[in-house]
Amino acid sequence: MSATSPRKWKFSRRKLLIGLGVTGGALAVGLPLSLPFARLKIAGMLDSGSAPAGTMPKDPFVWFEVTPQNRVRLYLPKAEMGQGVHTALAQIAAEELRPAWEQLEVLNASTERGFDMGTMLVAGSAVVSSLYNPLRAAGAALRLMLEEEGARQLGVAPAAVTAGGGVVAVAAEPSKLLTFGQIVGAKQGAWVASKLEPQLRQPAQFEFIGKPMPRVDFAAKITGAALYGFDMRLPNMAYGAVARAPRMGAKLLSAAPGTARSQPGVVAVVATTEFAGVAAETRAQAVAALDALQLQWSEGDVVEQAAMEAMVTVQPGAGTVLQSAGSVTAPLAAANTLRAEYRTPFAAHAHLEPQAALAHVLPDKVQVWCSTQSAGSLRADVAKAVGRKAAQVEVTAAYLGGSFGRKLNVDVALDAARLSAAALRPVHVSYTRAEEFQHGFFRPPTHHVLQGALDGAGRIVAMSHAQASGNVFPALVGQLLGADFGAYRGGLLRYNIPNRQVTSQPVTLPVPTGSWRGLGLLANVFAVESFMDELALAAGSDALEFRLQHLPEGELGERFKAVLLAAAELAGWGGALPAGRARGLACSMDAGTVVAQVAEVSVQGARVQVQRFTSAVDCGVLVNPNIAAAQTEGSIMMGISSTLLEEITFSGGQAQATNFDRYPLLRLADAPLVETVFLQGSDVPHGMGEPPLGPVAAAVANAVFALTGQRLRSLPLKLA
Amino acid sequence: MQLNINGETFEVDDGDGLRPLLWVLRDELGLTGTKYGCGAGICGSCTVHLDGVAARSCQTPLAQAAQAAIRTIEGLAQVQPDGSVRLHAVQQAFIEEQVPQCSWCMSGQMMTCAAFLEQNPAASEAQVLDAMQNNYCRCGCYARIRKGVLRAAQLAVQPAGTA
Repeated sequence: MSATSPRKWKFSRRKLLIGLGVTGGALAVGLPLSLPFARLKIAGMLDSGSAPAGTMPKDPFVWFEVTPQNRVRLYLPKAEMGQGVHTALAQIAAEELRPAWEQLEVLNASTERGFDMGTMLVAGSAVVSSLYNPLRAAGAALRLMLEEEGARQLGVAPAAVTAGGGVVAVAAEPSKLLTFGQIVGAKQGAWVASKLEPQLRQPAQFEFIGKPMPRVDFAAKITGAALYGFDMRLPNMAYGAVARAPRMGAKLLSAAPGTARSQPGVVAVVATTEFAGVAAETRAQAVAALDALQLQWSEGDVVEQAAMEAMVTVQPGAGTVLQSAGSVTAPLAAANTLRAEYRTPFAAHAHLEPQAALAHVLPDKVQVWCSTQSAGSLRADVAKAVGRKAAQVEVTAAYLGGSFGRKLNVDVALDAARLSAAALRPVHVSYTRAEEFQHGFFRPPTHHVLQGALDGAGRIVAMSHAQASGNVFPALVGQLLGADFGAYRGGLLRYNIPNRQVTSQPVTLPVPTGSWRGLGLLANVFAVESFMDELALAAGSDALEFRLQHLPEGELGERFKAVLLAAAELAGWGGALPAGRARGLACSMDAGTVVAQVAEVSVQGARVQVQRFTSAVDCGVLVNPNIAAAQTEGSIMMGISSTLLEEITFSGGQAQATNFDRYPLLRLADAPLVETVFLQGSDVPHGMGEPPLGPVAAAVANAVFALTGQRLRSLPLKLA
Repeated sequence: MQLNINGETFEVDDGDGLRPLLWVLRDELGLTGTKYGCGAGICGSCTVHLDGVAARSCQTPLAQAAQAAIRTIEGLAQVQPDGSVRLHAVQQAFIEEQVPQCSWCMSGQMMTCAAFLEQNPAASEAQVLDAMQNNYCRCGCYARIRKGVLRAAQLAVQPAGTA
């Protein structure tokens, strides 16, 4: 069985210092390569979505359970956070196993099921693309075993039977059949893998892949029965509350229980300089008892907004070169050059289910149920927090009520484990909305300096993008490689320009920053694609024509051309509009998916309203068109919310927002009409969870410019 | 104190009558289909019905809720005499239009829509959409929420109080 990514991975995996892809949060470091070369390769890898897959268990029974009652259970190492991966992966698995769709049950695999840490991670829009071949191979391997055993039970040769719809039937006499459940029920002795190499179906034969199969999680979600991390319950469970720093960076200098132990309902108190918290019979009792702890905090950082903006400012010559072609120095020093600066702010994830976990620390075992994108790494973190071996810890991902990167690091599970260890009972800990705004991490602010030079014919001869960003990945990663690959995601210059340079400058801020849907994608594409419109204007070209004139060579250029033309056609680009409306265009590539979008906006006073939003998306093989459309729609809405409304600011060492009154989100009335068309310019599936977010801000800003003449270069867009 | 929830009677501790209905439902009665999102009445994830009217359970004191017939997402579908479950028109429409993504907000979205449609069966499209103004969806399902609630309005809506 193939255990590798379906995509091309040029480094030898055996030579990697650290396995797994950049998009997965860990870093792939190519030892045999020189550092500057490795940087460029890894930079390209992120855009193309060619991160390597984690290692896959070969045993199909790790993935599947077929019961004598004729149910087929699929255990998935990837958490469902709304992006529809459970359904998409079920389609991929079913394609080769060939059950009846109705007999399939999709479950979250716990960390004990045999998947490695990287495989249990949901990140980088890589779930479907990384599991597309491994999961098909696992399904096919199990189908072969069922066919061979079924043939034996039916008294015919293996070649005489075929599987489909959950039964193994004699091909020449289809009424002679056994269900998968019957075969499993009658099986004597141990299962042995088939000696045959499984043959995978060709796209023309696909029964499930490419079909708009209904979401497998909706029956439970629509009735309120689905269990998220916040909903997890065990008998005798206590509730935990944790003392939080009054300012960013403040640490506990001393901690004592005070009178907390004698407060009503309190069952355990932990008061150390590492962690201080209370477990009590009820949520309210736990919160109330926090006040009885005796805690002394250090001053912390008096984080001020202006100082941080100054830190995140491109310093000439300071960045690491991530993309270089020709030389930009001479052409950008010449006349007829354009220069513009862009900024994006801190942003919150604002997932509606605050992070939550249930932990049960037992003498020989630790069980955790949690809304997490990374059950695998959480297992090790929990083990460390309570002084156990990772093998003693079992983490099961629950449904996630949104995440957008926030639940890659779920400190709340460590809180719950520490309190459970003290209480000797199961303990549930959840964040309040204020804790989410004040004690999480944020999308880092960015600053971009774009420069471009045109020749006499209006073609770009040189372009540079220098960007500075707060860290997305831990500062160590930036130190190791000289750049933060999350921060400049989407920032490379894809256009066919003879002289190009991209530099990136990681900045460690006094505020925790990290992954937010698409990482640097929205910010970088906002800057680059806004600037493309500025250059088009300077060249006297139409924004669409200008992009078509600068398409990259080869297959990528063809894919860009196709989505640009399709989006333009769908949006009626260049056609008449009602008075007070204008269109803006932008495109990007991320995780192997190429997207072009057209925003149609109007303005009322100082308020921008996006009326209509059109997308053309080439994500290669479309596993589920309905889910891919939903991901596109969701990315557009989140992108517009970020473009028009969202901004976290700090004062006196704290984020100023404590709830949605200070951090409003897009509402139904402000949601545009959306239209999406899918193209297939590649024969493998590419990412869909983040790529459609890329061009949103730029498309809106370009439309606002077309309508008002105001070139807005900071998010959120604010009309003068 | 007794609560009438989804046609059943539940006994809860008298204790603090000001404690929010949301946490009584979730923590004390295990009815976790009603979701916490902001605790400030802004996001709408915790919406339930009190005597058929949509209410934010995070802002509803227990003592006030005890005066009303409470309906939660767990009581939106009807169990038929033969034991089968008949989905509410809103649930049916949300499945047909494949509306949710993470679905954390969807209990509140559906309860808001159901209350409005049961009280205003002849509402215009604009009125139905207006009723949904104050429910956040961070996954950005708004395009489908629009389709879902309009579809629900078309489907036969049961009169209030028959659950």
